[in-house]
Amino acid sequence: MSCQISVERHLPAAVAVHSLALMSELAIEVRDLRRSYGEKEAVRGVSFEVRRGEVFCLLGPNGAGKTTTVEILEGYRTRSGGEVRVLGRDPATGSRELREQVGIVLQTCGVQEDLSVEELLEMYGRYHLRCRPVDEVLALVELSEKRGERARKLSGGQRRRLDLALALIGDPELIFLDEPTTGFDPAARRQAWSTLQGLRSLGKTIFLTTHYMDEAQRLADRVAIMARGQIIASGRPDELGGRDLRPAEIRFSLPAPWSLSDVPELPEISREALGDRALVMTRDPVHAVHLLTGWALENDVDLGRLAVTQPTLEDIYLELTGDASTDQVGSDQALQGVSA
Amino acid sequence: MTTTTSARSSLRRDLGLVAWQVRYEQRSYWRNRGRGVFTFVFPLMFLVIFASLDKGARISSRGNIAYDDFFVPGILAYGIITTTFMNLAMNTAILRDQGVLKRMQGTPLPTSAYVAARIISAALVTLAMTIVVLGLGASAYGLQLRAAQLPALLLTLVLGTATFTSMGIGLTRFISTAESGPVVVNLLVFPLTFISNIWFPTDSLPRFLRTIAGIFPIRPLASGLQYVFDPRHARSSLLDGRSLETLAIWLVIGMYLMVRFLRQPQGEVA
Repeated sequence: MSCQISVERHLPAAVAVHSLALMSELAIEVRDLRRSYGEKEAVRGVSFEVRRGEVFCLLGPNGAGKTTTVEILEGYRTRSGGEVRVLGRDPATGSRELREQVGIVLQTCGVQEDLSVEELLEMYGRYHLRCRPVDEVLALVELSEKRGERARKLSGGQRRRLDLALALIGDPELIFLDEPTTGFDPAARRQAWSTLQGLRSLGKTIFLTTHYMDEAQRLADRVAIMARGQIIASGRPDELGGRDLRPAEIRFSLPAPWSLSDVPELPEISREALGDRALVMTRDPVHAVHLLTGWALENDVDLGRLAVTQPTLEDIYLELTGDASTDQVGSDQALQGVSA
Repeated sequence: MTTTTSARSSLRRDLGLVAWQVRYEQRSYWRNRGRGVFTFVFPLMFLVIFASLDKGARISSRGNIAYDDFFVPGILAYGIITTTFMNLAMNTAILRDQGVLKRMQGTPLPTSAYVAARIISAALVTLAMTIVVLGLGASAYGLQLRAAQLPALLLTLVLGTATFTSMGIGLTRFISTAESGPVVVNLLVFPLTFISNIWFPTDSLPRFLRTIAGIFPIRPLASGLQYVFDPRHARSSLLDGRSLETLAIWLVIGMYLMVRFLRQPQGEVA
């Protein structure tokens, strides 16, 4: 807290007011970010903003430049070009004040193995001017019963929860989570999600990367999809790639002797038979289902396994990144050809 | 006025953080059995074994001084090398490979405070080693401890500890994976100990071996400590000037390597 005061003291009033206004709205600002490794450009002009209190999710296939982008924001890597502001500061300067306000969960990152869970939280907590009580953080990540256990004896899932606990001990404004639930079983993942939702309700900003679409769908306020070093789509998870405007799919099966041509006209775009299953695409699923089931009841047709679905986030993701990942494979092979 | 006050209070806070970190570095060290055996118990084992083998022996090439007066300071030198150089090189490589260094870099703890704590912690282990070796030497092996030795002993200890500490941290850059750590440090240290006055006097070794030993810092540390405890030097100066000079040169090299290792951002490693 003293850090903020000391910065403002050196700034002209107008600038201070302006930066305060920005700080209150935007947690992260990225403009035309670039990073090359030798000849290869891993991040090619990425721009986005994350508002305070928002859960922002960066999705993308392996090698898309996600980790490079996150590690630039975290201050671990330098950038080749562009502007980056995290909580109003440039992470490349390695400022201690920034590290006071940011919690980081890296993908694979060890701890001092011979210390206990409780000792680690005490040790890391002291680095911060302001920290949360150890008991509270342990309860939040549901690790209280393991507090006396040495880190080397923890299971994979417990380690991941310890990672989260260590990121939270300094009571950060902004939390980076790089694939926080990779390797979790479904129950552990649900548990982690409820923890993260708890953080959101505390008003923390969360920057998440993940491979799991259901995770993004469940947690994120906004999603950006990254491929080949660029952001190819961004928006709310339920609107991404025009998902909300896409036709719905109605699937069912018809018992013999009924066939798809017996089904009356629906407000539909198309219909097709897939083996014993029927697929109807429609922009008006409410009326279509009403007419379909009305017809079925009237004629005593048992519509098996009736289902209505919107395209999932995963469908959109695969559609958007499909070209990108094939291209990626293609260029990798080309590179191998050159080096061979 | 306010800036100096706040600078002073932030310095005080950082010194407090160093002390805090030293506590946890110490706990980590003494709890890890493998690390403790390799770097603390080994030298003491060698002390007991070798001193028992050569009980009552005298060294004719050194004016018939007792073998123990040569060997106890020699083992002290070896103990300093295991508790600083070997301990830090192997452990820092492990911390780097496990990502602990990267994690530490993401916290508000200044890198300088963390490194200071690691150095102080290693120095505390070295101090414990020194007390045990000299205590055993005086009580069981007839080593003469006198107050007059203290200044020369302290100077040699501090110089040796600083040299091998900085080189231990700096060496991490040349240890590609944590598994290769023990191999690398043993390859560097163990062969040299046989030509460096650690286990036996090397006065009658071929000239080229003595020249090689004189280049590296192990013999200067052993010789410097043996000089302090040599009963023939009772009344003259106890400082072995040439050995201390060589150690000082290695201290500069070690500091250079250490700073280069620490400047490397952990995020960019591999």
